[in-house]
Amino acid sequence: MAKINRSRDRDIEIPQGSMGDIAFLLLLFFMVTTVFVQEKQFWVDRDRWPQAQSIERIPRNNTATIYVMKNETILLDDVPSKIESEEDVYVKNALIAKKAENPEIVVCFRTDRETKYGAMSDVMRQLQDAETLVVAFEAQQKDQ
Amino acid sequence: MNISRKRKGKVSIPTASTADIAFLLIVFFMSTTKFDVKEGIKLVLPAMAPDSAEGKAETIQLGEDKMTRLQIQEDGTIILNKEAARHIEDAELDSIIQQKLRENQDMIFRVITDRNAQYKDMIRVVDRLKAQKAEKISLSTN
Repeated sequence: MAKINRSRDRDIEIPQGSMGDIAFLLLLFFMVTTVFVQEKQFWVDRDRWPQAQSIERIPRNNTATIYVMKNETILLDDVPSKIESEEDVYVKNALIAKKAENPEIVVCFRTDRETKYGAMSDVMRQLQDAETLVVAFEAQQKDQ
Repeated sequence: MNISRKRKGKVSIPTASTADIAFLLIVFFMSTTKFDVKEGIKLVLPAMAPDSAEGKAETIQLGEDKMTRLQIQEDGTIILNKEAARHIEDAELDSIIQQKLRENQDMIFRVITDRNAQYKDMIRVVDRLKAQKAEKISLSTN
Protein backbone atom coordinates (compact mmCIF):
# COMPACT_ATOMS: atom_id res chain seq x y z
CA MET A 1 0.00 0.00 0.00
CA ALA A 2 1.34 3.35 -0.94
CA LYS A 3 2.10 5.74 1.87
CA ILE A 4 0.96 9.27 1.59
CA ASN A 5 3.41 11.70 3.01
CA ARG A 6 1.85 14.46 4.96
CA SER A 7 4.02 17.44 5.34
CA ARG A 8 3.65 18.75 8.86
CA ASP A 9 6.58 20.93 8.99
CA ARG A 10 4.61 24.22 9.00
CA ASP A 11 2.27 25.60 11.63
CA ILE A 12 -1.16 26.58 10.35
CA GLU A 13 -2.23 30.05 11.54
CA ILE A 14 -5.11 32.32 10.85
CA PRO A 15 -3.71 35.77 10.28
CA GLN A 16 -4.96 38.14 12.96
CA GLY A 17 -3.04 41.21 12.01
CA SER A 18 -6.03 42.89 10.40
CA MET A 19 -8.38 42.32 13.34
CA GLY A 20 -7.74 45.84 14.60
CA ASP A 21 -8.56 47.29 11.22
CA ILE A 22 -11.83 45.35 11.11
CA ALA A 23 -12.82 46.53 14.56
CA PHE A 24 -12.03 50.14 13.74
CA LEU A 25 -13.96 49.84 10.49
CA LEU A 26 -16.97 48.63 12.49
CA LEU A 27 -16.57 51.53 14.88
CA LEU A 28 -16.34 53.99 11.98
CA PHE A 29 -19.39 52.44 10.32
CA PHE A 30 -21.53 52.94 13.43
CA MET A 31 -20.16 56.44 13.95
CA VAL A 32 -20.99 57.43 10.38
CA THR A 33 -24.46 55.87 10.25
CA THR A 34 -25.71 57.04 13.67
CA VAL A 35 -28.20 59.84 13.29
CA PHE A 36 -28.84 62.00 16.32
CA VAL A 37 -32.15 63.70 16.85
CA GLN A 38 -31.53 67.37 16.41
CA GLU A 39 -33.90 69.65 18.16
CA LYS A 40 -31.90 72.45 19.57
CA GLN A 41 -33.82 75.42 20.86
CA PHE A 42 -37.15 73.62 21.12
CA TRP A 43 -36.04 70.72 23.20
CA VAL A 44 -38.14 70.13 26.29
CA ASP A 45 -35.56 68.63 28.59
CA ARG A 46 -36.31 65.37 30.29
CA ASP A 47 -36.09 66.93 33.72
CA ARG A 48 -38.83 69.38 32.69
CA TRP A 49 -41.32 66.57 32.05
CA PRO A 50 -43.92 65.78 34.69
CA GLN A 51 -43.41 62.75 36.89
CA ALA A 52 -45.72 59.78 36.90
CA GLN A 53 -45.85 56.25 38.22
CA SER A 54 -48.06 54.33 35.82
CA ILE A 55 -46.13 54.92 32.64
CA GLU A 56 -45.98 52.48 29.77
CA ARG A 57 -43.64 52.01 26.84
CA ILE A 58 -44.86 53.17 23.48
CA PRO A 59 -43.56 51.68 20.23
CA ARG A 60 -41.60 54.45 18.59
CA ASN A 61 -42.39 53.67 14.98
CA ASN A 62 -46.02 54.79 15.18
CA THR A 63 -45.51 58.01 17.04
CA ALA A 64 -45.60 61.69 16.25
CA THR A 65 -44.20 63.97 18.90
CA ILE A 66 -45.67 67.33 19.77
CA TYR A 67 -43.59 69.60 21.98
CA VAL A 68 -45.44 72.12 24.07
CA MET A 69 -43.18 74.63 25.74
CA LYS A 70 -43.82 76.71 28.81
CA ASN A 71 -44.42 79.79 26.63
CA GLU A 72 -47.17 77.78 24.85
CA THR A 73 -45.20 77.40 21.62
CA ILE A 74 -46.12 74.14 19.93
CA LEU A 75 -43.60 72.26 17.85
CA LEU A 76 -44.60 69.57 15.41
CA ASP A 77 -42.21 68.33 12.69
CA ASP A 78 -39.74 71.07 13.62
CA VAL A 79 -42.30 73.74 12.77
CA PRO A 80 -43.13 76.05 15.67
CA SER A 81 -46.66 77.37 15.92
CA LYS A 82 -49.07 78.85 18.42
CA ILE A 83 -52.79 78.36 18.77
CA GLU A 84 -54.24 81.80 19.41
CA SER A 85 -57.43 81.66 17.42
CA GLU A 86 -59.70 79.27 15.56
CA GLU A 87 -57.74 79.89 12.35
CA ASP A 88 -54.49 78.47 13.71
CA VAL A 89 -54.98 74.96 12.39
CA TYR A 90 -51.43 73.94 11.51
CA VAL A 91 -51.46 71.10 14.05
CA LYS A 92 -54.79 69.80 12.83
CA ASN A 93 -53.75 69.80 9.17
CA ALA A 94 -50.40 68.19 9.88
CA LEU A 95 -52.07 65.46 11.92
CA ILE A 96 -54.70 64.78 9.26
CA ALA A 97 -51.82 64.15 6.82
CA LYS A 98 -50.05 61.91 9.32
CA LYS A 99 -53.23 59.98 10.08
CA ALA A 100 -53.74 59.36 6.35
CA GLU A 101 -50.20 57.98 6.14
CA ASN A 102 -50.44 55.85 9.27
CA PRO A 103 -53.90 55.23 10.73
CA GLU A 104 -52.43 53.80 13.95
CA ILE A 105 -50.52 56.92 14.87
CA VAL A 106 -50.00 57.76 18.53
CA VAL A 107 -49.45 61.41 19.34
CA CYS A 108 -46.90 61.85 22.10
CA PHE A 109 -46.82 65.04 24.12
CA ARG A 110 -43.52 66.28 25.43
CA THR A 111 -44.74 69.10 27.52
CA ASP A 112 -43.03 71.27 30.07
CA ARG A 113 -44.60 70.42 33.40
CA GLU A 114 -45.38 74.06 34.18
CA THR A 115 -47.21 74.74 30.94
CA LYS A 116 -50.71 76.07 31.43
CA TYR A 117 -53.31 73.43 30.68
CA GLY A 118 -55.16 75.78 28.28
CA ALA A 119 -52.46 75.31 25.63
CA MET A 120 -52.73 71.53 25.95
CA SER A 121 -56.49 71.70 25.78
CA ASP A 122 -56.32 73.68 22.51
CA VAL A 123 -53.96 71.12 20.97
CA MET A 124 -56.14 68.22 22.09
CA ARG A 125 -59.17 69.88 20.54
CA GLN A 126 -57.30 69.94 17.21
CA LEU A 127 -56.35 66.29 17.71
CA GLN A 128 -60.01 65.43 18.05
CA ASP A 129 -60.76 67.42 14.90
CA ALA A 130 -58.08 65.45 13.08
CA GLU A 131 -59.42 62.21 14.58
CA THR A 132 -56.04 61.26 16.00
CA LEU A 133 -57.40 60.09 19.30
CA VAL A 134 -54.68 57.95 20.80
CA VAL A 135 -52.36 60.14 22.82
CA ALA A 136 -49.54 59.64 25.28
CA PHE A 137 -48.25 62.12 27.80
CA GLU A 138 -44.56 61.55 28.18
CA ALA A 139 -43.41 61.50 31.77
CA GLN A 140 -40.46 60.57 33.91
CA GLN A 141 -40.73 57.53 36.12
CA LYS A 142 -41.51 58.64 39.64
CA ASP A 143 -39.91 56.78 42.54
CA GLN A 144 -42.33 54.64 44.45
CA MET B 1 34.97 61.49 22.29
CA ASN B 2 32.96 58.89 20.56
CA ILE B 3 29.70 57.77 21.99
CA SER B 4 28.76 54.36 20.81
CA ARG B 5 25.08 54.00 19.96
CA LYS B 6 23.50 50.66 20.28
CA ARG B 7 21.40 49.84 17.27
CA LYS B 8 20.81 46.27 17.93
CA GLY B 9 17.31 44.93 17.31
CA LYS B 10 14.38 46.53 15.47
CA VAL B 11 12.28 49.20 17.21
CA SER B 12 8.55 48.59 16.82
CA ILE B 13 5.35 49.64 18.50
CA PRO B 14 3.34 46.61 19.56
CA THR B 15 0.06 46.60 17.66
CA ALA B 16 -1.30 43.27 18.76
CA SER B 17 -3.69 44.87 21.26
CA THR B 18 -5.21 47.39 18.82
CA ALA B 19 -8.10 45.04 18.15
CA ASP B 20 -8.78 44.72 21.87
CA ILE B 21 -8.79 48.48 22.27
CA ALA B 22 -11.17 48.93 19.34
CA PHE B 23 -13.53 46.24 20.60
CA LEU B 24 -13.47 47.76 24.07
CA LEU B 25 -14.45 51.08 22.52
CA ILE B 26 -17.33 49.42 20.65
CA VAL B 27 -18.53 47.67 23.81
CA PHE B 28 -18.29 50.94 25.74
CA PHE B 29 -20.41 52.82 23.22
CA MET B 30 -22.88 49.94 22.93
CA SER B 31 -23.42 49.82 26.66
CA THR B 32 -23.64 53.56 27.21
CA THR B 33 -25.85 54.44 24.25
CA LYS B 34 -29.33 55.31 25.41
CA PHE B 35 -32.04 55.09 22.82
CA ASP B 36 -34.83 57.59 22.89
CA VAL B 37 -37.63 55.31 24.08
CA LYS B 38 -41.08 56.78 24.44
CA GLU B 39 -42.55 56.32 27.87
CA GLY B 40 -45.69 57.95 29.05
CA ILE B 41 -49.30 57.79 30.07
CA LYS B 42 -51.44 56.55 27.22
CA LEU B 43 -55.01 57.74 26.79
CA VAL B 44 -57.64 57.55 24.10
CA LEU B 45 -59.50 60.81 23.58
CA PRO B 46 -63.22 60.69 22.89
CA ALA B 47 -64.24 61.24 19.30
CA MET B 48 -65.80 64.57 18.42
CA ALA B 49 -69.60 64.43 18.24
CA PRO B 50 -70.79 65.27 14.72
CA ASP B 51 -72.61 68.39 15.86
CA SER B 52 -70.42 69.36 18.75
CA ALA B 53 -71.39 72.96 18.91
CA GLU B 54 -70.72 74.57 22.28
CA GLY B 55 -72.59 72.84 25.04
CA LYS B 56 -74.46 70.40 22.83
CA ALA B 57 -72.19 67.51 23.70
CA GLU B 58 -73.24 67.64 27.35
CA THR B 59 -76.77 66.48 26.97
CA ILE B 60 -76.57 63.40 29.16
CA GLN B 61 -76.74 64.04 32.87
CA LEU B 62 -74.90 61.50 34.97
CA GLY B 63 -75.29 61.22 38.70
CA GLU B 64 -72.48 60.91 41.22
CA ASP B 65 -72.99 57.17 41.26
CA LYS B 66 -71.86 56.96 37.65
CA MET B 67 -69.49 59.88 37.27
CA THR B 68 -66.94 61.49 39.56
CA ARG B 69 -65.86 65.05 38.86
CA LEU B 70 -62.30 65.99 39.68
CA GLN B 71 -61.96 69.67 39.06
CA ILE B 72 -58.38 70.95 39.18
CA GLN B 73 -58.10 74.61 40.11
CA GLU B 74 -55.46 77.10 39.06
CA ASP B 75 -53.57 76.67 42.36
CA GLY B 76 -53.54 72.88 42.13
CA THR B 77 -56.37 72.32 44.58
CA ILE B 78 -59.01 69.78 43.61
CA ILE B 79 -62.78 70.02 43.86
CA LEU B 80 -64.11 66.50 44.27
CA ASN B 81 -67.70 66.41 43.05
CA LYS B 82 -69.33 69.20 45.05
CA GLU B 83 -66.90 69.38 47.94
CA ALA B 84 -64.82 72.46 48.71
CA ALA B 85 -61.52 72.90 46.90
CA ARG B 86 -58.57 71.48 48.83
CA HIS B 87 -55.13 69.98 48.35
CA ILE B 88 -55.40 66.22 48.04
CA GLU B 89 -52.23 64.20 48.51
CA ASP B 90 -51.44 61.18 46.32
CA ALA B 91 -52.29 58.60 49.00
CA GLU B 92 -55.66 60.18 49.74
CA LEU B 93 -56.43 60.52 46.05
CA ASP B 94 -55.66 56.81 45.63
CA SER B 95 -58.06 55.83 48.40
CA ILE B 96 -60.81 58.09 47.02
CA ILE B 97 -60.44 56.52 43.56
CA GLN B 98 -60.39 53.01 45.02
CA GLN B 99 -63.54 53.73 46.97
CA LYS B 100 -65.29 55.14 43.91
CA LEU B 101 -64.30 52.09 41.87
CA ARG B 102 -65.61 49.80 44.59
CA GLU B 103 -68.91 51.64 44.47
CA ASN B 104 -69.08 51.32 40.70
CA GLN B 105 -66.62 49.34 38.60
CA ASP B 106 -67.50 51.40 35.51
CA MET B 107 -67.16 54.76 37.22
CA ILE B 108 -66.39 57.58 34.82
CA PHE B 109 -63.79 60.03 36.09
CA ARG B 110 -64.15 63.45 34.58
CA VAL B 111 -60.99 65.48 35.04
CA ILE B 112 -61.78 69.14 34.50
CA THR B 113 -58.64 71.23 34.51
CA ASP B 114 -58.62 74.99 34.71
CA ARG B 115 -57.00 76.64 31.66
CA ASN B 116 -54.51 78.35 33.97
CA ALA B 117 -53.70 75.25 36.01
CA GLN B 118 -50.36 73.60 35.48
CA TYR B 119 -50.02 70.60 33.21
CA LYS B 120 -48.28 68.57 35.93
CA ASP B 121 -51.35 68.82 38.17
CA MET B 122 -53.48 67.22 35.47
CA ILE B 123 -50.85 64.52 34.90
CA ARG B 124 -50.73 63.80 38.65
CA VAL B 125 -54.47 63.13 38.77
CA VAL B 126 -54.51 61.08 35.55
CA ASP B 127 -51.51 59.11 36.81
CA ARG B 128 -53.32 58.28 40.06
CA LEU B 129 -56.39 57.20 38.08
CA LYS B 130 -54.29 54.99 35.82
CA ALA B 131 -52.41 53.55 38.78
CA GLN B 132 -55.72 52.52 40.35
CA LYS B 133 -56.80 50.92 37.05
CA ALA B 134 -59.58 53.39 36.34
CA GLU B 135 -60.43 52.96 32.68
CA LYS B 136 -63.00 55.59 31.93
CA ILE B 137 -61.20 58.89 32.11
CA SER B 138 -62.38 62.01 30.39
CA LEU B 139 -60.36 65.21 30.07
CA SER B 140 -61.90 68.60 29.72
CA THR B 141 -61.35 72.20 30.66
CA ASN B 142 -63.50 75.06 31.84
